[in-house]
Amino acid sequence: MTTTEPRPATEARPAATQKRYRTLAVVKQEAVTRIEKQLEDSVFVWPHLLVREFFAALMMSVVLTVLSIVINAPLLDHANPNLTPNPAKAPWYFLGLQEQLHYFPPTVAGVLLPGFVLVALAMLPYVDRNPSRSFEDRKLSITVFTACALFFAVTILMGSFFRGSGWQWIWPWQGLFFNL
Amino acid sequence: MSKTNKGLLDQAWSMTTESQLWRSIFRHGYPDTPLNQSLVMMGNVFLHLHPVKVSRKAMKITYTWCLGGLSFFLFLVLTITGVFLMFYFVPEQTVAYANIQQITSAVAFGNIVRNMHRWAAHLMVVTVTLHMIRVFYHGAYKPPREFNWVVGVILFLVTLLLSFTGYLLPWDQIGYWAITVGSNMASYAPIFGAQVHNFLTGQPVGVGQPTLVRFYTLHVIGLPLVGAIMMAVHFWRIRKDGGEAGPPPPSRRELEAARAESQNVPVSALN
Repeated sequence: MTTTEPRPATEARPAATQKRYRTLAVVKQEAVTRIEKQLEDSVFVWPHLLVREFFAALMMSVVLTVLSIVINAPLLDHANPNLTPNPAKAPWYFLGLQEQLHYFPPTVAGVLLPGFVLVALAMLPYVDRNPSRSFEDRKLSITVFTACALFFAVTILMGSFFRGSGWQWIWPWQGLFFNL
Repeated sequence: MSKTNKGLLDQAWSMTTESQLWRSIFRHGYPDTPLNQSLVMMGNVFLHLHPVKVSRKAMKITYTWCLGGLSFFLFLVLTITGVFLMFYFVPEQTVAYANIQQITSAVAFGNIVRNMHRWAAHLMVVTVTLHMIRVFYHGAYKPPREFNWVVGVILFLVTLLLSFTGYLLPWDQIGYWAITVGSNMASYAPIFGAQVHNFLTGQPVGVGQPTLVRFYTLHVIGLPLVGAIMMAVHFWRIRKDGGEAGPPPPSRRELEAARAESQNVPVSALN
């Protein structure tokens, strides 16, 4: 046995960067690797996320400003209860429902269908009990949702651009009956 | 030149940031060290909705497309431009239309502010819808985030109602008849149809002065208040439910394949 032990490497460093290690607890191997993986994957929100958010907000501001300079918000004649425009259209996001009015009684198209859609949307996480988030494991729910979304997209487009006076079918090049 | 060889701007900067006033507002240095980067996120009421650190994968632009954030940003734009428009708008059916004409022609920056309010409103309906679709496809509504999805559905409805109530306010032929069509639909509600129509429009038939006041009140205070409260819950729940969900994990098949490989069992043996 030698009496001159080598000095610990930590003391060679300046006091500020000196590190001391003490055993506080024994952590199982898998727990250690899990923590290390999480740390590796994450970055500071300032600046990494904030700069992205700022850039997105800036882009949106530019789009909005250009849009507002180029296109004026519509303003038709003063409201006249005695002069019903033909066709009288709801705001664009309700035109899918107005299109349904053409096929179903008003109670179904105007109240029950939108009510059902909202309730179904709200209940979705409690109905869809499949725990997997992978596309491959969710074929049914993705198919149903996509079909519903397409249904609404198509009916909104139909109601917006393909319906003229008397809610008759009209091609967009024959005349547009659409206000934003 | 000073003794420390600093420029005038540097001196002014350090004098500002070392003053008691500045130190009373910002209790940390410039966020360029891990400590200050943490302190700025925790000590700032606007930033503290964010965590200090975030997963690199969940932060990817092509994952979220910033749709939720953009919806919130548009809500802020709508609030600011909306307050401006409120200065000039009176919800009275004989003057409302003239007020809008005045805003577009006589008020300084009135036209562009009204345009921004209109286009931001339409864009917000779009971004909120796309945000919902994005969240669905990523399966981010699944536990533990079920309730936040429900809050999101309420916010979606509030967004539509905000747009719908704003539609009537110019009191022109577009708004008047769009709301007439919309509120007529509500009168077909089973059993309570007449009551629902009366509640919405304030009169048994058609759309008139009571409707204008109701829609105005809902548009400028009622619905924004509900929206703001729901947004607070929505954002808070994101944090409490473990942050953004991040990209979907591997499917069951891939997991099984990986497990089989780690146990040195040929994948074909499982099928």
